[in-house]
Amino acid sequence: MSDADVPVSVLQSRHLTRHFRVRVAGQGWRRRVVHAVDDVSLDLRAGEVTAVVGESGSGKSVLARVLARIIAPTSGELYLHGEPVAATSRRTLAYASDVQLVLQDPFGSMNPVHQIRHNLERPLMIHGAARQEVRALSEAALRRVSLEPPERFLDRYPHELSGGQLQRVSIARALCVRPKVLLADEPISMLDVSVRLGVLNLLRGLCDDEHLAILYITHDIASARYLAEEIIVMYAGQVVEQSRGTALVDDPTHPYTQLLIASVPDPVNPVAAAPDTGEQNLSTIATQGCRFHPRCPRAMDICRAQEPPAYLVGEAHTSKCWLYRDHPGAPVELAIPRRRGEGVTTMT
Amino acid sequence: MSTDAVEQVVADEATSPESIATAAPTPVLQLQDFCVDYGVGARAVRAVDRVNLRVDRSKVLGVAGESGSGKSTLVYGFTRLLRAPAVISGGSALFTAGPSREDSGEELIDLVGADEATLRRLRWTQISVVLQSALNALNPVVRVGTLFDAVYRAHRSDMSRAERRARSVELLSLVGLNEDRLQRFPHELSGGQRQRIMIALALALDPSLVIMDEPTTALDVVTQREILNKLAELRARFGFAMIFITHDLSLLVELADEIVVMYAGRLVERARARDLYESPRHPYTLGLLNSFPPMHGARHELTGIPGSPPDLSQLPSGCAFQPRCPYAMDRCAREQPPLAPLDEAGRYVACWLHVAGEHATVPVELRRAAPSSRDGGSGA
Repeated sequence: MSDADVPVSVLQSRHLTRHFRVRVAGQGWRRRVVHAVDDVSLDLRAGEVTAVVGESGSGKSVLARVLARIIAPTSGELYLHGEPVAATSRRTLAYASDVQLVLQDPFGSMNPVHQIRHNLERPLMIHGAARQEVRALSEAALRRVSLEPPERFLDRYPHELSGGQLQRVSIARALCVRPKVLLADEPISMLDVSVRLGVLNLLRGLCDDEHLAILYITHDIASARYLAEEIIVMYAGQVVEQSRGTALVDDPTHPYTQLLIASVPDPVNPVAAAPDTGEQNLSTIATQGCRFHPRCPRAMDICRAQEPPAYLVGEAHTSKCWLYRDHPGAPVELAIPRRRGEGVTTMT
Repeated sequence: MSTDAVEQVVADEATSPESIATAAPTPVLQLQDFCVDYGVGARAVRAVDRVNLRVDRSKVLGVAGESGSGKSTLVYGFTRLLRAPAVISGGSALFTAGPSREDSGEELIDLVGADEATLRRLRWTQISVVLQSALNALNPVVRVGTLFDAVYRAHRSDMSRAERRARSVELLSLVGLNEDRLQRFPHELSGGQRQRIMIALALALDPSLVIMDEPTTALDVVTQREILNKLAELRARFGFAMIFITHDLSLLVELADEIVVMYAGRLVERARARDLYESPRHPYTLGLLNSFPPMHGARHELTGIPGSPPDLSQLPSGCAFQPRCPYAMDRCAREQPPLAPLDEAGRYVACWLHVAGEHATVPVELRRAAPSSRDGGSGA
């Protein structure tokens, strides 16, 4: 895919890393460093959904929080509209108004003792909206997420709404400060089956109509395939496979992605028995070589010794696995972002 | 899953020639017109409405539906785990108690009328339950080993400490966990490990019916797959029957022999798993199946089911699904359709579209050929 086809990146990360120091129970409280996010470079583009898929504990939620700057990264750079952000400094109001986070549990992310009105108006006030326009803005925000008529919802309390409605309210709350980037951390996993698609289609619509850049974090690879222009698979804090379009789901190359896809219940292609490879935890994540090798059915000697780089396995499709070391294509390092107005047309 | 397994499920209907050849299987559980209300009197809300179903020995029955469709109330109803204001307001739940230690004969017990002593005798030894949220279901302030101990102390007071410990270690190894987990507290374990502990506990006394209430919903796909593999292995070994509640129909198609779909407290469709998936007959089943983005094929926009589940205290007139149904007719708003047998192997559906005489109106997506009728039930 050439540069011209790809929309402008709004938020970019380069070599973003976050480590946590922990003590491990059951191993004499030994100190260890957990690489929750390790060397993640990604581009969130206007009008595109980028999906991050991985198991619990793969670091995807930490990634969202680092991108939202709620958690400071250990190292790495962030660029918003091509401008470097002092990533390790505190989050500023301006940054928060451009990059908004929507959390998994809508009941937990709304103040339960206040009406929806308060929950929507508060961010508007904090972000300096004039008092007289606050009501109109919060009504408009509810309309954008198809909660109509808005008056019906403003005076309700969070517990009076269903999970699907409340998740729409939390998306509306994120939208009311007019962000350019929406980070959605498992927005549908707590919702009922029949309303999940509604929320996914809402995200799609926001992306298409308002050119939002959306990061969609999920463990449901089928919904990532449904929604996203770009899919990233994370394992133990690292990006192990990445592709534009559905190539990664239709033709997975990394053994971990293959495991993920084989695990999805699929009546079209029922698997007799997927390999039981254990689960991702501190003891199965390797500290040397490829992080996945203790669970990998195709592990080789080199996997135990040395961490693989990302190889280009198809058009705009990379895989961080030694299996592809003989592939002709060389991995491409993502370029350092261009500043706004430097040679490319920007979208505003 | 073997295809004869699927065969036997429908033997009670005796509509297909193959089923006649098979000996009638013994039902473990038979619900007849089972009803559960929340509250009494004029303001009572009917959460489970005249449900008829049977679970055969060593078979898996899947129960699918949205939140609030009554699927959990149904199973907590007949296991008598519900507390006021829930009231069993009608019907019976016949449970065939298998040969126990004391007496070797089978006995038929109506769970609805059973007293506490009978229930106490059946619970855990005959019927056990795996709850959705393992973290909330496991006592957080005692070690895992103590949880196992408590089960044996309550039901097998003759076991010595060493026997209890040996049996606990054996159970843990069955679900693929190391015995050092017995010394751990629930919060020290991962979600998948906790759910395995729940399953091991449920199997502790070798029950004949295990109820799984969304055991994998809180887990991610890889862990879910491991739990499902483990369950298949354990079922092959111990032959317990299972009622598996979930909203994930694609999972049920893989796992269950027969599936019932619930909506607003009623069964709206009942069919063999494969048939239900490939040829849904009820518009709600079709909507549920279309709510999951597929893993194959071209991407196109899915619509799922418009609207939201009804408020049980203000059910719409006629068919409860009619306000959300794309195929609703005049009759749907007037009369409630009964769950009637369809002219196919073991299929029941509650929808006016399929009532004789109105076949011309059945939309093409609701009359695809079922795999069992296409190839004589030899599976897909």
